[in-house]
Amino acid sequence: MQPLTDSTNKVFTAYYLSEHALTLEFGHEISEDMLQKITGFNILINQNPFPGFRTSVPAYGTISVFYDPIKVIQADDLPGVDCYEKVSNYLNQLSDDSEIQPNTSSILITIPTCYGGEYGEDLEEVAALHHLSTNEVINLHSSAIYKVYMIGFVPGFAYLGGMSAQLATPRKPTPRKIIPAGSVGIAGMQTGIYPLATPGGWQLIGRTPLTLFDATRTQPTLLKAGDQVVFKPIDHHQFENYRD
Amino acid sequence: MRIRIIKPGILSTIQDLGRNLYLSQAVPVSGAMDTLSVRIANLAIGNDDNAAVIEFTYADAEFMTETDTLIAYAGDGAILQVGELVIPAEKPVFIPAYTSVQLVNNPSGSRTYLSIAGGFGVPEILGSRSTFITAAIGGFNGRSLQLGDTLSSVEAISPTTAIIFSLLKSENINHTAWSIARRMFLPADTKRIRVVPAHEFSWFHGLAIVNFLSLPYTLSMNSNRMGYHLDGEPITRIIKNELLSTAVTPGTIQVTGNGSMVLLMADCQTTGGYPRIAQVAAIDLPLCGQLKPGDTIYFEDISHQNAEMLYIEREHELQQLREAIQQKYL
Repeated sequence: MQPLTDSTNKVFTAYYLSEHALTLEFGHEISEDMLQKITGFNILINQNPFPGFRTSVPAYGTISVFYDPIKVIQADDLPGVDCYEKVSNYLNQLSDDSEIQPNTSSILITIPTCYGGEYGEDLEEVAALHHLSTNEVINLHSSAIYKVYMIGFVPGFAYLGGMSAQLATPRKPTPRKIIPAGSVGIAGMQTGIYPLATPGGWQLIGRTPLTLFDATRTQPTLLKAGDQVVFKPIDHHQFENYRD
Repeated sequence: MRIRIIKPGILSTIQDLGRNLYLSQAVPVSGAMDTLSVRIANLAIGNDDNAAVIEFTYADAEFMTETDTLIAYAGDGAILQVGELVIPAEKPVFIPAYTSVQLVNNPSGSRTYLSIAGGFGVPEILGSRSTFITAAIGGFNGRSLQLGDTLSSVEAISPTTAIIFSLLKSENINHTAWSIARRMFLPADTKRIRVVPAHEFSWFHGLAIVNFLSLPYTLSMNSNRMGYHLDGEPITRIIKNELLSTAVTPGTIQVTGNGSMVLLMADCQTTGGYPRIAQVAAIDLPLCGQLKPGDTIYFEDISHQNAEMLYIEREHELQQLREAIQQKYL
């Protein structure tokens, strides 16, 4: 499962994931530089699909490329003896032929959030733990600009980077059985928004009236990897009267 | 054609071959756990492979036909019966209106697939009719089937389906003489699962790898459509790096912090951060879909080239079967 061409200057190496997919590995760290590189190449793949291409899944250090093996094996213009070779050769060629433009033009999405009270039951606990007032927690949380590193866990769940280290809080010792959709939480160094009502152990500091995932929309998830996110505090009335 | 659920059983859902295009938005593949049985049930009555079917889990379920109905079924979770009369599997069967069909226990597996002429006519959500209960999407109102649910088939049927239906239509239950031998597609030992070493394979201790490829592992009670927890000799690591979350896929075998293995199945998350020891060969994943808690399996390693070749051969065989059935009714 070594790279097929000489890989001295390669920005990624490929490895086999399944009969339907391979993964391009760009690196092993979480950084904005890596995010831009991965978002850039992911756009390139989707603009230049090969026969049988299905979809691609960007993550912190990888892009996984999914395909229909029957269409790939029948594609005579893709060189290689098997699907894995055909697709990895194609992607290596695509990378050689194109200057990968780091994607810096990300969309900024504002998440109106009602902090505390019934919408963020753990806000006071989080504030107390860090010897901050609840307002200071809200200010710290809503003044940062976050980056979406990847979507995973459940449909539409965004892994956000960029939270103030002052807010890092361990998960609840006992996860809640159900967390309402739209809940904004903190777990360790991460902050995120629950798109669906699911069980979870994150500390809940607020809730957004936005719908993060709606299967009936053309783009079902509100956020995608590479987007920028800010949280904007709103009060109870604004939350209750909010219209998508 | 239309059926009504009289007894839903423990988990009955509408599934097809899965939802492949929204993985980047963390929408899982879902779809049938045993896709081979789905395809055989669909092929038998001239349906598209991907037509929506019902996935029944174990037995103890019952439905009633509300119209004259053409069905087929495949899988190892149950045997279909009308009273004492056993309905043969893996072939087209005509069932007259207002017949009550029971699913009776078959201890050899866990899931049974019922196809209907044209497929079940639930709306397509994000390119698939599969049910994903966690997000309440797809299938019948995004949920498992309940008592009283009425399911209609898609009106458009293939010419092959139309001919089979008209040939079998009668006053009584009627079926063709021929059947598809699903066994032809199965290895002699269905508990030996072929795997391809995964990217983090070398992170594990040599002895752990020997154990993995020689000792039995047993499905724990903590097993469902998302994945199977496997009980057995723990898999120890020599490289203790943290893995950054990256894409995983049904068939991926992850090793958790305490050295136990989780085999990801149809409803699995799209990304994961546990190191992966192996990937179940696509050709053997349907076998896993028939496993139940307490079942013991063994793993055998093959190369990814071999896994891909087996997959392509299987697809070729299914294509030949499809053509043979079409030609029979030309």
